[in-house]
Parts: sequence; C-alpha cells; structure tokens
Amino acid sequence: MTPAVSFTKVSRHFGTVRAVDAVDLEIQPGEFFAMLGPSGSGKTTCLRLIAGFEQPTAGHIRIFGEEAQGVPPYRRNVNTVFQDYALFPHLNVLDNVAYGLMVRGIGRAERHKAAEEALALVRLPGFGARKPSQLSGGQRQRVALARALINRPKVLLLDEPLGALDLKLRESMQEELKILQTSLGITFVFVTHDQGEALSMADRVAVFNEGRIMQVGTPQDIYQKPRSRFVADFVGSSNVLPPDFVQRYAGQRRWGSLRPESIRVARQAAGEGVQARVVALNYLGSATRLSLDAGGLRLHATVPAGAALPEPGEHVALTFNREQLHLMEEGA
Amino acid sequence: MRSDRSTSAPLALKLAAAAGLLFLHLPILLIFVYAFTTEEKTYQWPPPGFTLRWLAVTWNRPDVWQALSLSVKVAALSTVIAIVLGTLCAAAVSRTRFFGRETISLLVILPIALPGIITGIALRSAFSLMEIPFSTWTIVLGHATFCVVVVYNNAVARFRRTSGSLIEASMDLGADGFQTFRHVVLPNIGTALLAGGMLAFALSFDEVIVTTFTAGQQQTVPIWMLEELVRPRQRPVTNVVAMIVVLVTALPILVSYYLTRDSDQIAGAGK
Repeated sequence: MTPAVSFTKVSRHFGTVRAVDAVDLEIQPGEFFAMLGPSGSGKTTCLRLIAGFEQPTAGHIRIFGEEAQGVPPYRRNVNTVFQDYALFPHLNVLDNVAYGLMVRGIGRAERHKAAEEALALVRLPGFGARKPSQLSGGQRQRVALARALINRPKVLLLDEPLGALDLKLRESMQEELKILQTSLGITFVFVTHDQGEALSMADRVAVFNEGRIMQVGTPQDIYQKPRSRFVADFVGSSNVLPPDFVQRYAGQRRWGSLRPESIRVARQAAGEGVQARVVALNYLGSATRLSLDAGGLRLHATVPAGAALPEPGEHVALTFNREQLHLMEEGA
Repeated sequence: MRSDRSTSAPLALKLAAAAGLLFLHLPILLIFVYAFTTEEKTYQWPPPGFTLRWLAVTWNRPDVWQALSLSVKVAALSTVIAIVLGTLCAAAVSRTRFFGRETISLLVILPIALPGIITGIALRSAFSLMEIPFSTWTIVLGHATFCVVVVYNNAVARFRRTSGSLIEASMDLGADGFQTFRHVVLPNIGTALLAGGMLAFALSFDEVIVTTFTAGQQQTVPIWMLEELVRPRQRPVTNVVAMIVVLVTALPILVSYYLTRDSDQIAGAGK
C-alpha cells in the first residue's frame, strides 16, 4: 500500500538550527497519526513541510506516492487546521467554510450548500451568517475544521487544534475528532505537545525531540515500552531507573523504566522490596501520587483512591512485578 | 480609567480650554468671513459689508483653475504612487525577514522626519544635476517621498495586526498568490490603504516647501496663494480658495480618521 505521507531523510535547517534532522517517516492511509514532542522539537515544522509552507533542505517528501518537491500549498491535496484557526475575519462563517470552493470557481449556490453540509458535519448548522468574532473558541475550532474538510483533502493536518480550549471542551472535541476521522476515513496528522491527547486519540504516535523522531509506535508501545529515557520521561512521567538499579532486579546493565502505577507501596518498612522514604503526597482525585526517596533515587508511585496512604517521612517498602520493569535499548 | 463620578471640570479649566480652542480655530473662521467681505484691498475689521461676488470672480479666474487642477493632479498621482509603493514596502517589511529590513524601514520613514526644505533642496539639485526639466512629474516625485511614508505606516500597522496564518490558510485552501491577495489581503488592509491614501492626498494638496523647490514656474494652489497675498488685488479671492482648500483637505482627513477608528475592531477580530 502506498503510504499517505512518506519522509525520506528529510531535513529542514534554519541557519544553524536543525529544526528537522534526517527524519524518516511513513504515515498510512486512513491513519490517525500524532506527532508528539516538546515545543521546538520539530513536529510543527514537519506538519508545515507536508502542507508545503516549508521546503525541505534535504530529503524527499511524497504524498500518496507523488513527489511534493516544488508543489505549492494550493496544489496539494492536503488541508490544515491552524493552531490559531486563521478564520478570515472579513468573511462570515459560511463564506469562510466555502472559501476553498470559491477559489476553485464553484458557483455561489452550490458552494453555499456544500458549506452548510460541512457545518452540519461539525455540528454547527445555522451558524453561517455569523462573523468569526461572534463565535466561542470551540465554535471557531469547528468552523476551521469544516473549512479544511470542504475540499475533501486526502490528508488533514491539525496543528495543536485543541490547545486553546478548556479541559472539558478539549475532551469532548478529542472524542468528536476521533469519530469524525473514523467516519470520513481521511488520514489525520495531528501535532500536539500533550501526551495524554496523543495517546488517547492516535492510532500511532511519533515522539519528537530536537528535530529527530525518538520512537514511532502505537500508544501502548510508546507508553509501555519506551525505547529511550527521553520517551519514558516525556510520555507519562515514568520512573527512569539507572543501570545499577536495573542490574539488581533484572540482571542486565541497562536503563529501565517503571510506570508509577506499577509500583506497590507497603507500609511496613522492614518488608521485602526497595526501601524508600515518603517525601511528599499529591492528591490527584482518582489516585494519590507519592514522591519517594529510595537511597538517593527519586521515584514516583501512584496509589489508587481508597488504599491506605503512608505519611510523609514514613519508611515504606516498594515492590513491583519483574515484567513491569521495561528495559530500554543499549545506550539509550 | 474613567471615574464613575461625573464631576465637572473647574470653571477656570473650562475657560482655558475654550480660549485654547478659540485661539486655534478663530483665525480659520476669519478666513471664511473675509471670503465674503466687500472690501477688496485690505483686511478691514469689521467687514464693511457682505457679498457673494467673490465666488463668481474666483470661478472666472483661469489662474485659480490652473492651480487647482495642477494640485489635484499632483495629489492624485502621488497618492497612487504612494499606495502602490507603500503597500509593497509594508508587505515586504512585515511579512518577511531579510538582511537590512530595519534599515529599509527607517529609510522609508525618514522623508517625513526630514525637514521639507532638505528634501526640496536635495531633489532640486538632483534634478538639475540630471538635467531633468521641471514638470508635473518633478512635483509628484517630491510629494511621493512623504506620501509613501503615510501609506506605509498605515499598511505596516495593519499588516502587523493581521495574522500571518490567514495568508497560509488561503493558500492551503487552494488560492494562488493573486487570489489570496484579492480575497484575503486586500479586504483586510483595504481601509488602512484608503485612510493612508486620503491622508497622503491631503498632505500633497497643501504642501508648500518641497513644491517651491520642485515646481519651477508652475503654481500649485498653496504657491498661488502665497503669490496672491503679495498683490493687493481682489484679496477675497484668496480667501475663497483657502475655504475650498480647507474643505478639500479636511474632509478626507476626517473620513480617514473614521475609517481607521472603526477598522480597529474589524482588524482585531481575527482571533
């Protein structure tokens, strides 16, 4: 199968800054693909390379098998939902959504009908006559989505589209985006710095750092089997364990990662397991997060709500199943 | 911050404010009054009588018409040049980053900070060095130097307020460069250009200093008026023309003021 988007050794340098550095990537048709990373990690530049706003310094980008080099944004069958939505302030919602058809010379009646349908798709029927300034953040986001979908793109690019929304709205939009993507069958490429968002929505996730992809995989892979310390740390604040520690429990001198929820905390100090002292407790609602000091090694453990909690300063014993301890690659 | 209590200003302050306003505007009113006086040689107060005769006299003076038409022509041409060059320059400076960007921005704004007399002398010596004879175009060139600034400043301010991603969004949706300019850029900067253009027109219309150096024997309205004041013949004609100049220049400035004031909300509504 031809990949929807493929990067072959793609680099984009700005002066001496390597925003994207020799990235290889394949995104499959119909996939919900997330690019996850801290700000400045190159994920947005990758998105702009696909959209055609940036040209690679080296390497090749193919969109459904076609070389993208030299193809301007307006001739790519790819549309973008911008981070700031970029709705045209001088046009009403209907004309904003119909813009892509208007510049293609589609007649007024026909394009307005299509725009109405697109608005209904994002659950904003009847909002056509309003100006973007009269809409809430969540509504603007939907208009931007409808506008990007009206040209029936093969790939939809979303640049941190939920970043400006409040938590409640973000959660419902995550769900809606996922449903929309499944029903339309369009390839979604989604940029985010929120690991929770990436894990909950994407079919596959690429973790970016300093212009490179650190790991690509399903959310389960990324979460449970981080390949490097960076991934373990960035995706879900895992406990990163040094080789000395890992050798004692797994017999191999490698870096390891252990999820906070995999650690069991026993209140009797003399028991078997890793001896640690409770430094602090953070109440999270569904669980309580313990900060622990195990002989100089700082660890985190989560205790589900309802379980008995130790006091700060108390000595505890930590145990975990050997298979929960994930070994990272050599030299990671 | 506006206080909730609607306390009125003290009487002394009110009087001072009124005196200030009178000082500024009474002379202008006097000019209007003398346009209708029956006395033609001196400015006698109070005017011995009122007449509408001078309107007709002015209408029939060919030198007035010549000066007016030259002024309108020059103002219109400099405005068109200013709009084209000012917009292009503003787009370049605010949309892209290149070596010397700040310098170019400064150089474009400089002519309005520079005393007109310097601009005038510089242009005049340049024209004579290059042996360019004085014509409408030499005046237009002189006026364009400061008209460009006005349009540039307006356009740059608007470009800065318009989100850059609008242009990318337009391209992304399938519009080429020309379509993007027509459907997205122009509607967003249109009022700024209109305001800048009107201001440029008004500035050009009553410019004296640069014009004296670049006009040669030609007379624009302000130059004609200066000449006219020296000769005590049909003096009220000058006042009639002054009245027209006030109307021609004040109206566009007022309109441009209202246009930019309203458009603040339009331009800021992007997000």
